[in-house]
This record gives sequence, structure tokens and C-alpha cells, in this order.
Amino acid sequence: MVSDLYLLEQMETVLKGAVSRVVMEEAHTKLLSFNEKRDFSEEELQRILHEIVAEYRKARVDPGEPVGTVAAQSLGEPGTQMTLNTFHYAGVAEINVTLGLPRIIEIVDVRKDPSTPVMAVALDDEHRFSKEKAILAAQRIEGTTVENVARSTALDVIGAEFSIELDSERMEDSGLTFEEVIKKLKKTKSVERIRYDEDEGLVILSPGTVNLLKLRRFSQKIKGLSLKGIKGIERAMIKKEGDEYFVYTEGSNLAEVMTVPGVDPYRTTTNNIYELFEVLGIEAARNAIMREIQKVLDEQGLEVDRRHIMVLADAMCLEGDIQQIGRHGITGEKASVLARASFEVTTGHLLEAAREGEKDRLNGVTENVIVGQPIPLGTGIVELVMNPSFEDAKEV
Amino acid sequence: MLNRYERARIIGARALQIAMDAPVLIETVEIDSIRVAITELDAGVLPLTVIHKDE
Repeated sequence: MVSDLYLLEQMETVLKGAVSRVVMEEAHTKLLSFNEKRDFSEEELQRILHEIVAEYRKARVDPGEPVGTVAAQSLGEPGTQMTLNTFHYAGVAEINVTLGLPRIIEIVDVRKDPSTPVMAVALDDEHRFSKEKAILAAQRIEGTTVENVARSTALDVIGAEFSIELDSERMEDSGLTFEEVIKKLKKTKSVERIRYDEDEGLVILSPGTVNLLKLRRFSQKIKGLSLKGIKGIERAMIKKEGDEYFVYTEGSNLAEVMTVPGVDPYRTTTNNIYELFEVLGIEAARNAIMREIQKVLDEQGLEVDRRHIMVLADAMCLEGDIQQIGRHGITGEKASVLARASFEVTTGHLLEAAREGEKDRLNGVTENVIVGQPIPLGTGIVELVMNPSFEDAKEV
Repeated sequence: MLNRYERARIIGARALQIAMDAPVLIETVEIDSIRVAITELDAGVLPLTVIHKDE
């Protein structure tokens, strides 16, 4: 077995400058652990290191490689194989998540209201190992409305009253007491009178003298009244993963869930990419785009090189906010007039550019295709000059 | 070391010159201008330099 010091020295000499820092770090940790298990000889170590360099060189692309086009094709082809099945029960206690093609479209369009927002909430050290504590945290997160704890509700149009039959079992499930519900109802502004009919077990609310339309609105408002938990979270359930409990939610509200006692804000995440961007910033959004696309591909059993997805995510996040793929994003905000005009509303773009005296530097591919020049890709990116002092040149 | 685009570009440029009757810089049995250009490039007799724009 080679010593750790020797390993590090050899890594410095062979890998430094030849591979990127990230690769080097990863190689270091992996080699250390494998060295312990497998007892590398000096020769083996050398061979591994040189293999790393060779593989790294092979994985690089040359300048001029159309990586965006290749990425588009590499994601587009598997896209044609994807099943159109929209919904999928993610195995997590019946939470369903949009996957497949609709989800991909949702991601590249940067939809601000994804059809199935869900959160994976990690818990802090106090809550994550105990089922009871985890349930407690879930109850704090789950949004509960009056309707959720009512067995039935009735609107008395003649008496201008709204009655609620509270379900004690449901209240217990959400960690609410009868008194708390009443207190919350009393605090509500539009409730003028409140009384409890003990014989029938009904809570009867009156908005005062109002017309029929207002009475109906009143009943809707009371039904949707939030009693506990966080707005936007419809359901929260716990699931054990490994030796710790997680809370999974239907609906997403990252900023508020992060502040709930018992939640570990550092490991809590949502599948709503735009929300993640607003709360945690562009780098988090970039990671989320990659993770969410990967999730769809994995679920469909499709294999796409990570780097294609990285190109896509980078292109979307380049400007500091998330740009969608399409007319309101990347394509629509291209620097070149000609490139924009070739996409849609040709005359509109040209007219506007003429009016503003816009210049086109002909830096992109589309512009150069239009004017009939070699495009700046592949061999087109290489510029050659004659070297007049080249002495080895000799005529035959 | 040339990457594949640089190599292709140089061979293309040189083959065009040869095809237009430029003097060949090396002794070779090849007839095809592209083949001649390849031989020249590999022999290191071409006075062509690749410009790297952003360096």
C-alpha cells in the first residue's frame, strides 16, 4: 500500500494542470478510500493517475464544438421516446407529481405555478429521528382550514347564519383543539355573532344583516379560513428514509416552511424552480433545473449525459434570472437583430431595429448564415495566418 | 497540438492552394491535393499559424 503522502505527491505531479480542480479533488478522496481497501502498488497508482488524465482529455470538447446543438439533440431524441403519461405517484404516500414530457415543458418554460408543487422538508436533529416529533412538525407545516376539520357545513339562508359541525377526530389529526378553532373564528372580522349549539354540536356563525350574495361569500370565506399551518401547503406527511424522517408536502411555500420550528432549512427543498430562485438565488435555481430534468429522465429510464443538462441549465441562468427557452427568454432576447428576426415576427424586429439604429456585429451563427458567410463554429472558428519567418519551409 | 477543427481547417486551406497549382513543399507520391496537404501538415513544413482570439 502506498502512503497517503506519496499518493498526494504523485497526484500533484501527474494531475496538476492536466485535469480540473474538481476532478482532482474527487480523484483524491476516491483514491484515498480505494487505496485503503485495495492496497495500491506504486505502479498501479501511476497507471490509475495516467488513466484519469487520458479519460479527462477524451471527455473534453474542442473549441468550436456546437455544444448547445448537441445538447438539444441529446435531450430531444429521448424526449420522443417519453411516454405521455402525465401523473405518477412518486411512491411517497400517494403524493402525485407531474413527470414525463409535461414536466420537461414546465421546466423549460419556467412556469411560475407548476401543476404539482411538492416539497421535501428535512427536519432538525431534535425532530428527525422520532416519529412523534416528525408528526408534530408535519402538523405545524400542513395548512388546515375550517373545511378540513368540519364534518359538515350548512348555510341557513333565512336566518342568515352559517353552521359548522366540527369533527373532533379531524381536529385531533391536525393538532387543533375545539377552543382554538372557536378562538380563531371569533377573531375573524366579518363574524358578528358566534354561538355554540350543544344539543346539535353545531357552531353557528352570523355575519349580521347582509344580503344573500354577501352571505354566500361569508360562508366561502369561513370554509377557507386558515386555522393552522402554512399557506399553500395542502397536505403534509412523514416518510422514513434511512434512519431519519422527512416531511413531504403537497403544495409549496419554501420561505415560510424554512422558518417553521423543527425544520432544517439547509436541506429543505421544493420542486418549484422559480420559487427556489426567489428564495435561494440563481445558483440554487440552476441546480434545481438540472435535478428536476434528471428526475424525469431517470423515472423514464432514459440516460442523458449530465453535461447536456448542464448546458441547458447554464443557458437558462446566464443572465442572472431564469430565462425560459423560447420567445420570452433565450430566443427572444438574443443580441442579434437578424437572429431574432429569423425566429418570428421578422418585419417587426427589423423595423424596430432600424428605428433604433441597432447594429449587428454578426457574431452568432444565424446572422452569418443569413449573410452567407462561414459560421463561427467548428472549422469556421479557426483563423489562420501565414507565418513568413517559418524557416523549415523549403521548396522541392 | 491541433484540435480536429484546426487540423481540418489547415488541411482544407492548404489543399485549396495545392489544387490551384501552388508549389508543393515536400517530396510525396500522393496525387490528391488533400492527401498532399495532410502529408505536408504532418511533416511540419506548413508556415500556417492558428490565431487564438481570446488569448
